[in-house]
Amino acid sequence: MQSWRRKALLLALSASWLLVLLGAFPLLRLAVPTRPRAGASQGWPRWLDAELLQSFSQPGELLEDAPEPPQGPRGGSCDWGACFDASKCRGGGLKVFVYSAAGPVSETHRRILASIEGSRYHTSNAAEACLLLLPLTRDSSAGECSPVPPQWNGGRNHLVLSLHPAPCPRTFQLGQAMVAEASPTVDTFRHGFDVALPLLPEAHALRGGAPGQLRQHSPHPRVALLALAEERGGWHTAGTNFSACPWDGRCEQDHGPEQTHPGATLPNATFCLIPGHRPDASHFLQALQAGCIPVLLSPRWELPFSEVIDWTKAAIVTDKRLPLQVLAALQQMPLTRVLALRQQTQFLWDAYFSSVEKVIHTTLEIIQDRIFGASAHPSLLWNSPPGALLALSTFSTSPSDFPFYHVQQGSRPVGRFSALIWVGAPGKPPLKLIQAVAGSQHCAQILVLWSSEKPPPPRWPETAVPLTVSEGHRKVSDRFFPYNAISTDAILSLDAHSSLSTSEVDFAFVVWQSFPERMVGFLTWNHFWDEALGGWGYTAERANEFSMVLTSAAFYHRRLRAGGPGRSRSPQSATASIRWRQGSATCPWCPPASVWTQCSSRTRCPYYARSIAAWRSPRREQRRPQPYSRGRPICLGGAERGGSASSLRTGQSRRPVSQCGRSRLANHSPSAPEGGPSPHPPVPQLAAVPLCAAPALRLCGAGADPLPAMPFSTSLPS
Amino acid sequence: MPWAEECEEGAVWVIMCAAVKYNLRGPALIPRMKTRHRIYYITLFSIVLLGLIATGVFQFWPHSIESSNDWSVEKRSIRDVPVVRLPADSPIPERGDLSCRMHTCFHVYRCGFNPKNKIKVYIYSLKKYVDDSGVPVSNTISREYNELLTAISDSDYYTDDINRACLFVPSIDVLNQNALRIKETAQALAQLSRWDRGTNHLLFNMLPGGPPDYNTALDVPRDRALLAGGGFSTWTYRQGYDVSIPVYSPLSAEVDLPERGPGPRRYFLLSSQTALHPEYREELDALQARHGASVLVLEKCTNLSEGVPAVRKRCHRHQVFDYPQVLQEATFCMVLRGARLGQAVLSDVLRAGCVPVVIADSYILPFSEVLDWKRASVVVPEEKMSDVYSILQSIPQRQIEEMQRQARWFWEAYFQSIKAIALATLQIINDRIYPYAASSYEEWNDPPTVKWGSVSNPLFLPLIPPQSQGFTAIVLTYDRVESLFRVITEVSKVPSLAKLLVVWNNQNKNPPEDSLWPKIRVPLKVVRTAENKLSNRFFPYDEIETEAVLAIDDDIIMLTSDELQFGYEVWREFPDRLVGYPGRLHLWDHEMNKWKYESEWTNEVSMVLTGAAFYHKYFNYLYTYKMPGDIKSWVDAHMNCEDIAMNFLVANVTGKAVIKVTPRKKFKCPECTAIDGLSLDQTHMVERSECINKFASVFGTMPLKVVEHRADPVLYKDDFPEKLKSFPNIGSL
Repeated sequence: MQSWRRKALLLALSASWLLVLLGAFPLLRLAVPTRPRAGASQGWPRWLDAELLQSFSQPGELLEDAPEPPQGPRGGSCDWGACFDASKCRGGGLKVFVYSAAGPVSETHRRILASIEGSRYHTSNAAEACLLLLPLTRDSSAGECSPVPPQWNGGRNHLVLSLHPAPCPRTFQLGQAMVAEASPTVDTFRHGFDVALPLLPEAHALRGGAPGQLRQHSPHPRVALLALAEERGGWHTAGTNFSACPWDGRCEQDHGPEQTHPGATLPNATFCLIPGHRPDASHFLQALQAGCIPVLLSPRWELPFSEVIDWTKAAIVTDKRLPLQVLAALQQMPLTRVLALRQQTQFLWDAYFSSVEKVIHTTLEIIQDRIFGASAHPSLLWNSPPGALLALSTFSTSPSDFPFYHVQQGSRPVGRFSALIWVGAPGKPPLKLIQAVAGSQHCAQILVLWSSEKPPPPRWPETAVPLTVSEGHRKVSDRFFPYNAISTDAILSLDAHSSLSTSEVDFAFVVWQSFPERMVGFLTWNHFWDEALGGWGYTAERANEFSMVLTSAAFYHRRLRAGGPGRSRSPQSATASIRWRQGSATCPWCPPASVWTQCSSRTRCPYYARSIAAWRSPRREQRRPQPYSRGRPICLGGAERGGSASSLRTGQSRRPVSQCGRSRLANHSPSAPEGGPSPHPPVPQLAAVPLCAAPALRLCGAGADPLPAMPFSTSLPS
Repeated sequence: MPWAEECEEGAVWVIMCAAVKYNLRGPALIPRMKTRHRIYYITLFSIVLLGLIATGVFQFWPHSIESSNDWSVEKRSIRDVPVVRLPADSPIPERGDLSCRMHTCFHVYRCGFNPKNKIKVYIYSLKKYVDDSGVPVSNTISREYNELLTAISDSDYYTDDINRACLFVPSIDVLNQNALRIKETAQALAQLSRWDRGTNHLLFNMLPGGPPDYNTALDVPRDRALLAGGGFSTWTYRQGYDVSIPVYSPLSAEVDLPERGPGPRRYFLLSSQTALHPEYREELDALQARHGASVLVLEKCTNLSEGVPAVRKRCHRHQVFDYPQVLQEATFCMVLRGARLGQAVLSDVLRAGCVPVVIADSYILPFSEVLDWKRASVVVPEEKMSDVYSILQSIPQRQIEEMQRQARWFWEAYFQSIKAIALATLQIINDRIYPYAASSYEEWNDPPTVKWGSVSNPLFLPLIPPQSQGFTAIVLTYDRVESLFRVITEVSKVPSLAKLLVVWNNQNKNPPEDSLWPKIRVPLKVVRTAENKLSNRFFPYDEIETEAVLAIDDDIIMLTSDELQFGYEVWREFPDRLVGYPGRLHLWDHEMNKWKYESEWTNEVSMVLTGAAFYHKYFNYLYTYKMPGDIKSWVDAHMNCEDIAMNFLVANVTGKAVIKVTPRKKFKCPECTAIDGLSLDQTHMVERSECINKFASVFGTMPLKVVEHRADPVLYKDDFPEKLKSFPNIGSL
């Protein structure tokens, strides 16, 4: 009985199991909808006879193209190859002739002229020019904008430049002329031929320009996320909790702190939304300067200099038809990207947009790059600091030749240096110095520039490295001439009467390798504003800070001597009170010869005005008394090289610690208003003081302590 | 394949059920049975088991049968595709609209609900189109177009839901204009279900135009459809709307061509095209006459023996060369315009690592919207053709090698196969629609070796932060209140201190009452943490408002105010670096073949301790969210080496060394147990060495940089009145 029941039970159980197993699966499959089968069932089928399919072109077809005579341009359109005659630009590079205005010279015209004259592009002879520049200005004589110029020639090799949108209709056909105008639409813009300019405000600085307004890398946590450009000018900031308010002007319903900034006030926000109307083009530059990432809500406008500038690194061009997507993307943008975009806005502003001169030079540089073809600036040079106006493609087109891109390229400067010894008037061969330098393990060659009246001695000491003597140079700045004989990146510039030891040279070179973009020297100077003379002065006295190192003993990169003669500007003409011969700026991006015009005011030296102000402020004086009298400038060409050399000889440089570079940092007092105007009248012609104040630090050997240095028993793997 | 997945599921079910049954019934019952019954039950169980197995088999079989139906449906023959008859009067789309741009002709709303910033692409199913009289409009599909559609279908872009698609790709093959009837193809396009004037439709065409005038864009009327075309000229290319693609070279794809590294080659300049305009041929001959053996101009072979494919051979006088192998013998290779602007030879040339010299005025190079052709090619205007030799000779050798490398990389990444071409095209369109998620210039153009070697410093702008902003000191503490209060008092004397943040890492004990804390001139905040972890020290707290952060231990009371202020000044000059006081070094131990941590007196420094160090607060963010591998959890588990991890992180992202300030070597003071008290311990050193080895393996490289200098105040140790110095109170070792 029991067993029977058990049997029955078991039978029932097993039967039900079977049923469950058999029934459940089909039921389950019915109940659970099958997942969409990605790719396989609904996707493009794998044809059974795919192997038999024929190729899209027959074997001979690609090769046997019927020959056809080259076609000329069709339609009214132009491109670079068809409408520009580059043969005129051979040899001398880009030479630009600017038409003078027929009537009274307008302000815009004057500024364009001023920024081209004195540049290396300028020529006053229309016949030898390869580019003829016709400025279109709005305030020339009534009615017409500009008459057809004399050498028009159908517009060939002409650049019609309108900095401000011209209100008057053009009275002539553009023909084959290139057009450089502010914010053109993508519909009319001819890629690779026209140049897109930024829409400059009327009062844009001619030279130098205001620095970017970004004061810190990362956005402040409390800063508004969005600012919206308003139609009448001005900005409207929305709080961080925003909806799709920037569209359709529904921002009023938005919660959170709101603010309206009228007129020229620059927004303090992370992203600046700019709708696509034409007047908004000026907002673009405002946002760029403020370090507020421009978000263009319309792709209709060609961005300025889009041919060379990679705007994806500094701005976001999007479509306002996807509002939720855009807002979500902005909210979720990783901090890393925000940081990169913000920094790029500042770099671009400083490099290409902050002054009329930079805008014009960038335009010409773009055209020159087209002429150069293969030896044009690589994209990296345009899009990373210090920018293509300072990293000249005539020096090299390879980024690793410049001191600025080692980190990006993962490269290092070449591990040797060339010593350049300048022998001045006394004409005594610097034998001791040569021995000391030649003893350095890093020295590759020694070059003696014999500039004395006396003839050089016939015999020179035997050295381990090649020694070259070249004569006949009289000018002091010849020491910066880019001699072809120099094969290394690093150059040690020396005066004959400097005295250095081998280990000092070695150490300085090691430091330079860490900072190839800076000058690394032994003796320092400082600059200051001299109220009595109304100009800048310098001092060699010992102080807590410095801004220059003397090239009587300093390392610098080869590229710094390649400023190019056309770009240099005589320092004497720039200011009356300083002779800049001996000291060269520590500002790493300025070739010594072109310090004046080319060093951006901000790249390395953002606080020059304030620093000087603070330096003079009584409060600061109490804290850090200056050991020298500021009323007595030691400039005016008074300090002879001998003076500095004597301090070199007084044993300062003997101590390993003092061979370390010294620099000074702008120590502006907190009372100085941020970004406020300089208390000093700007020096005429002098756009910015390029000298970089540096912190009160110098670099010393890590083992410079009075303890025995541990010799390494182990070494690093190669 | 989906049925396979379900089968596996079924099998798992069966086994699991069997196991359950056996466990429940079998072992529990059998021991109590009599022998007779046992046999009976065993038989019963075997029947049940057999039943189960049969179930499993049953589950298995029907599936495969059903699936094989699917399979046969899927694996159809091209001959079986449905035929569509086009009436002679069916509508024709308008000709291509030259003024089309993304913001005018593209319906971006359709892409609004695509997740992950990826457009969705729908492919129309294949049909065979015939005209009224039953004559086919074109070959149904070519091998390349089939490959192309397969590639799209296999990619992330593909969707089979026509309603969610943002981009439509017709299956009508227009790769070669010569192989189709223009009017009828246009009619076929117009009757596609979502045609809507061609909005959001993408056509692929490699050989546009036909004799005699060879237009540079597809002649099929296509209205607003996007065109991915090979051989665009500036007159027909709609910048920012069309995509310029390469002309695929099916012949060379069959040849196995091993990569050849850059460097000088036998011929300086080579021309391999056979069908050239006589004018160009004359120019080439003149070039060869002028420059002799360094220029090689190849022609079609005339007297080849039978069976040798003519397309694989090129001749110069009586010499016969293999094509495309001969391209590897030249530094520069000509790509001249033929009847069409786009030439398949470009692809061959790139593949051979030969730098293309493109002589085709107004030609839009493939993918020129994203690729920087200046890095891989030389474009010479047609009128300058006679100067081409001198133009090329003016390029320095290093740049040539760079271009050769770049050319080969372009081929590998974007030209190699139909799939590469299709995906690059879709990526370009995708980047236009989601510009905030677009690939950067570097991602498109840098070869992998460069991407690997380069460092993109996140703080690349040499921006000197204003001194007035000051710094935030972060003190990590557990329960050493007395020492903590002394640190707070000392640090608060530093003029540039803006805020003090105490990270209270002890969950078992409350921080002292407000009234007990020292009164200081700056805001003091206490943050309580949820867990006692070392990484709390590097958390990007919202309270940090300054860019500079001073990380300081709760027992570092020996640093003077001058030292700290000076450290801050140095940090401002180098905001992307770690600026700290005691320096440490990593060394390679040749005996043990691994890295070793060194805290003894050395001439070099590669790390600074974060017991007191200034850095940018961005590195807090990186440490917390972007630390590679398991380093963060490793540090928390070992309660050690957080400073080494920070040194690795900063050196890795910036590619720069640390800055050591002041002569200070150790944090030693008589009354406190400094961290270096521990450091002297031998086991501690071993542990630190282990950290370095661990981190180096996680980073895959040794990012630390060794320097031989440190920063001291300008007048440090100078013979100068102490009271006139900015930082007189710089402590000793």
